[in-house]
Amino acid sequence: MRRDLQLNNVGRRYGIHGPWILRGVNLELARHTLTRVEGPNGTGKSTLLRLLARIDAPTEGKVTGRPRTAYVPERFPQALPFTAEAYLTHLGTVHGLSRAAAPRAASEWLDRFGAGAYARTPMTRLSKGSSQKVAVAQALLAEPELLVLDEAWTGLDEDARAELERAVAERTAAGGAVVFVDHDPRRLAGAPHRTYTVTDGTLNLRTDKPTSPSGPQVSLDVQGPPGGQLPPEAGQFLTSSTELTPGTHRLTVPASHSDVLLRALLTAHPPWHVVSLNQRADLPLDDESPR
Amino acid sequence: MSTMTALLRYQAALLLRSQRWLPPFILYAAFLGIGVQGGQPVLDSLGYTAAALLPVAAWLVRICTTNEPPAARSCVAAAVGPGRAHLACLLVALTTAAALGTAATLVVTLISDPASADHRTRVSLLAAAAAGLLATLACALLGTAVGALTNWPLLRSPGRAVPAMLLAALLAVVVTGSPAQAAVSGLVTGSQSGTVPVPLLPLAGAALVAAAVTAVTCALTSRRSP
Repeated sequence: MRRDLQLNNVGRRYGIHGPWILRGVNLELARHTLTRVEGPNGTGKSTLLRLLARIDAPTEGKVTGRPRTAYVPERFPQALPFTAEAYLTHLGTVHGLSRAAAPRAASEWLDRFGAGAYARTPMTRLSKGSSQKVAVAQALLAEPELLVLDEAWTGLDEDARAELERAVAERTAAGGAVVFVDHDPRRLAGAPHRTYTVTDGTLNLRTDKPTSPSGPQVSLDVQGPPGGQLPPEAGQFLTSSTELTPGTHRLTVPASHSDVLLRALLTAHPPWHVVSLNQRADLPLDDESPR
Repeated sequence: MSTMTALLRYQAALLLRSQRWLPPFILYAAFLGIGVQGGQPVLDSLGYTAAALLPVAAWLVRICTTNEPPAARSCVAAAVGPGRAHLACLLVALTTAAALGTAATLVVTLISDPASADHRTRVSLLAAAAAGLLATLACALLGTAVGALTNWPLLRSPGRAVPAMLLAALLAVVVTGSPAQAAVSGLVTGSQSGTVPVPLLPLAGAALVAAAVTAVTCALTSRRSP
């Protein structure tokens, strides 16, 4: 049995007389949800994530629920006396994998992030980017029920960033909860179910809906059984859905979620038929202007 | 595989591969090289062997608790809880100290004279080794407690942690009432009369102190800044 992680009126300060970093925080991370936390630097976002990962205990209030958790820090140290593979194998078993499964998962995730070539490189000789890939792989090894990402994309190359977005989509599709902080507003744009802002030590749910789905989208024309409903796992990621003709739908999802949508459609009973698939960049990828 | 086993394997690998265990091992060898010579009364030498292990155990705790950079520690803490992660550090340090002390006790027993301090009364080597092992374990436990009390999460800056650790280790060896002092002085007093003590009470005391300190420091891990 597992329970979703929940913060009830939580506050945190360091030291007995230190200033409050966070206060009166209420938050629940339900299964299948993606949560974004934003706010200016130094407002307590990292402290909030440490509370959610249960690395820190609250000074006041209550944290309940103990999902299997993985955490990715912003900067991962290189000063560990292991090869990337050995470190990940150790961490895999710490996350609960068997000693047979851990090395397999380690090499699979290194490959997914394009770091397979560094498997036997000592961590001390990895570049910053490669060592961040190890940090991310560490968290994904054992399919955590709660994934906490503190600027995890920082330092990753373009391919690895996209892979991490897809991994996040997979986790939420598989029933996990994911919470993340990232300075880039386009990160997983359109995908979070909830966005919170940390200001002056308090957490506020952002209610203003973005006017149009931002970030690259993928649109699919799909055909289902006559009168068939979309599989429920597919429904939760959709940006939009229109029925073109009876049984034929045009679905739009954030590009990061196209794989999980396809998987849900193709493995449904009976499976859906994919007629066509188009990438649509609602916003050009090279657009650096703040929105 | 149980999480605790995985954690212990990880922490032990971290200690072994970091090679930071080497300086305390060398220091201990130097201590023994200076203080113990072949043919000396066995209980005196065993008392010295046990006492010298205490600062070594504290140092091993310092190594184990600082081996992992904070960000890496956070990754492990998220997976298993910060308290259990810290418990694994302390257990690996304690086990290493106990293993080192056991090896030293056996060597010292074999090279020493099985007699009282005045070399007149015979002392059973087996009983002496057993007493030496109990005293050594008491010192390893108390040294672990000293190390746990004077390092993260209680003290963080090396400028305060290291002097505090050295002072506490010294006091734990010499101050009356300390289980380590009781175990060691039991051996030394026993050597004068040629009777081998059974330092079970000091061992129990040291185990109690170590368990209490471990519980407190593990509980504090999630309350201190990283």
